[in-house]
Amino acid sequence: MTTTLPQTGTVSPASRLRDFAARTPDAIALREKSRGIWREFTWAQFWDQAETFAHALLAHDIGRGDRVAIHSDNRPEWLFTDLGSLAAGAACMGLYPTNPTAEVEYLLNNSGSRLLIVEDEEQADKALAVPTSDLPMLERIIYLEHRGVDAYDDPRLMSWDAFMEAGQAHRTAHPEAVAVRMAEAKPEDLAYLVYTSGTTGPPKGSMITLANLDFATREIAGDEGIVQPGPGPDDLIVSYLPLCHIYEKLFSVVFNTGAGVPIHFGESLDTLVTDMRDVQPTIVQGVPRIWERIHAAIQVRLASASRLKRINAAIWMTSARYVGNTLVRREGRHTLLSRGLTQIGNLFLFRSLKDRVGLRRVRYGVSAAAPIAPEILQFFMSIGVPLYEAYGMTENCGVATTNRPGRVKLGTVGEPYSGCELRLDPETGEILTRHPAVFAGYWNMAEATARTIDSEGWLHTGDVGEWVDGTHVKIIDRIKDIIITSGGKNVSPSEIENTLKTSPFIKEAIIIGDRRKFLTALIGIDFEVASEWAQRHKIPHTTYRDLSEKPEVVKLVQKAVDAANEKFARVEQIKSFRLLTKELDHEEGELTATQKVKRSVIEKKFSDMIESMYR
Amino acid sequence: MRAQLLHEILPAAAADGAPLLEIHDIHLAFAGVKAIDGVSLTVHRGEVFAVIGPNGAGKTSIFNCVSGVYHPQRGSISFEGRDLLGMRPDRVADLGVARTFQNIELFPQLTVLDNLMLGRHQHLHYGTPAAMLRIGKAAREEARNRAVVEGIVEFLDIQQHRKSFVAMLPYGIQKRVELGRALAMAPRLLLLDEPTAGMNLEETEDMARFITDIRRELRIGIVLVDHDMHLVMDLADTVLAIDFGRPIAVGTPHEIQSNQDVIRAYLGQEHAVADPGGSA
Repeated sequence: MTTTLPQTGTVSPASRLRDFAARTPDAIALREKSRGIWREFTWAQFWDQAETFAHALLAHDIGRGDRVAIHSDNRPEWLFTDLGSLAAGAACMGLYPTNPTAEVEYLLNNSGSRLLIVEDEEQADKALAVPTSDLPMLERIIYLEHRGVDAYDDPRLMSWDAFMEAGQAHRTAHPEAVAVRMAEAKPEDLAYLVYTSGTTGPPKGSMITLANLDFATREIAGDEGIVQPGPGPDDLIVSYLPLCHIYEKLFSVVFNTGAGVPIHFGESLDTLVTDMRDVQPTIVQGVPRIWERIHAAIQVRLASASRLKRINAAIWMTSARYVGNTLVRREGRHTLLSRGLTQIGNLFLFRSLKDRVGLRRVRYGVSAAAPIAPEILQFFMSIGVPLYEAYGMTENCGVATTNRPGRVKLGTVGEPYSGCELRLDPETGEILTRHPAVFAGYWNMAEATARTIDSEGWLHTGDVGEWVDGTHVKIIDRIKDIIITSGGKNVSPSEIENTLKTSPFIKEAIIIGDRRKFLTALIGIDFEVASEWAQRHKIPHTTYRDLSEKPEVVKLVQKAVDAANEKFARVEQIKSFRLLTKELDHEEGELTATQKVKRSVIEKKFSDMIESMYR
Repeated sequence: MRAQLLHEILPAAAADGAPLLEIHDIHLAFAGVKAIDGVSLTVHRGEVFAVIGPNGAGKTSIFNCVSGVYHPQRGSISFEGRDLLGMRPDRVADLGVARTFQNIELFPQLTVLDNLMLGRHQHLHYGTPAAMLRIGKAAREEARNRAVVEGIVEFLDIQQHRKSFVAMLPYGIQKRVELGRALAMAPRLLLLDEPTAGMNLEETEDMARFITDIRRELRIGIVLVDHDMHLVMDLADTVLAIDFGRPIAVGTPHEIQSNQDVIRAYLGQEHAVADPGGSA
């Protein structure tokens, strides 16, 4: 992609946005569904908002060397804040909407944020619950939604509209101020502080620089990137994973400002399915949990359809299994027969099935952030949703490996990006990466940084991997999660857990067995799916706990466990399991903000249950 | 896009606290059984007025008298100075009095949107031919009313249920939809009959927040009948306690809470009855 505009300063998402606004001012950059209608922002409007935000920061004397925090669900103002901060030279730090007060206090103080954007009363209350003197750096709290907050009298509060008006006034008085700041930008400037949720210890702020983002943009969203042919204005992305996480940033910011892909914001997380159905995105980013849930929803839909539809589904799902096996064998490439079967299957079943869940037009789907079961990937491939597993982490700006069209090896996370050096530590098997998107270190944590990036610039990922056929990488597990049984066998829990989670009835699975004679599991049912099943089988139930304690449900899960056990060697088989009697929750400390299970917390919290399996 | 505040989609009342609903000494009897026996009350603009009492005390009967379902044999009811006695329910609704019901009274076989659009019925001013052809005024009004309804959907956070059939929705959501339909009428007086009956704690808290927001953003009068003492005490400015159709006490939530007669009424013991007509 070439540009005729004079380049000043370092390329950043903000400068890319500005260039799009100059080149294609009237093309659509963002859409937002509000009060039932999809409303559009052109590139010119998008840049106008981001630039105004940047001016507003400058009007408050916030710029280079400062941090701006935002605590909100995904919405256009999130991106105005993000890109406006970059334009002003400040760094942006996002909080998870689920972060409770104590974490909000920690993150604001640790990052030294001077300005905080809050979405609404709920998020404002969290920051306001902290005594002013305990947030010494925080000067201003800007709120997006007026309801309730209008009545507060904290002097730090200011409405978004008033803040943006200050930006307008600043722009009138100093029309060139933002352009000057952008020209001053350096590749090593801090762009984002991305806090890793940390399954152990307090969150650490990963420093992502403009240079990191530039490399990531070219590797991922460039013409030679992961989407072939390269992504562009005709693609569609729905933004729904937390925007403070590097994964969603790559899609909502990098694909948008790097390749001009319009980003869509739905009405809320609760309406995701409807929003996806409206948009029918072409590029879909998902974590395994999302793909598992869509998979479960499709299974339920097929099972509860009318008799004729069930017969039709049985025929075409059999065909799909053949297609899936063919694709897996041929690394994602069709044969004449498999292509033909898919196309006919589309007419009879797949097209309408995919339409219902918003996946009809997907040309690139990706699963990352946690390991996914190969069965799930194969299922989506078999019904014509090209889904690829990729691998990356905050510390390398999400850039490490990906499966590519026609070169898919199931059970691996794919091949390293062209500009990415990747090797395995000869002793531990730990995956090491080195490239220009390796982060600048942990914010104010030199020691932790030194443990993570070695003197030669290799990032120690903490994941153990192995090469498959010399080209693809297979992740074994997190180093610290690997279970060593009392018999001395090394077992990777996540592989077993993911196999269990391919059952639509199982939402959570935690394998226990470190320093023990055999493996056991704590299993959480998927309430919606199990409840639907129970209703169909006329099993009365009330709460999650009640349903989990039904003998029929225990039997159902036992079947899934037995099926999983068949795939593993004896030492890797689950000898006993217990069903969790509550749904795991971030606010109660059982899950991280990204919904990863905190093993240590679970093992402590449910220790009685665990011990009962070894007695 | 910022969510709309209620006064941006619906007409708000003046903040003058003027009397809105005045009930004076009404008596209602069914075949000799006294349902209401001398109740008087005054609800002002911007006020949340709660009526409490044990089961069968006559709370809902008061609502039915106001909304024109029952016609009291004696006494007077006026809304913004207009006499409501003997008026048909639809006329009362036209004047700006909306209500919800103890047992949800929605159209279960219609979608949430359609139920809410029905709430806009009295704000539609086009004829059948235009409606059938969806042209001109009909199309414009439909769009205008849909915008109001969408604002209410956003307020009640029921976007995901917009196109669901009411019969399929959980009880707590149906209650919200019913509140939404009452709001859609753009009322100046809102009668809520046990808005949190049968709800769990979270649903009750949501409903309390909606009522608080409606009061703050629209400043309309709200009359609330509920069993949940905590809810009533949190939300209401004025509380009237009744038993056997007769007023026991009227006052601030604090006064009512410590009133011995009210306590006894709830415990089912003998108690004095306040002077009818002299209260509120």
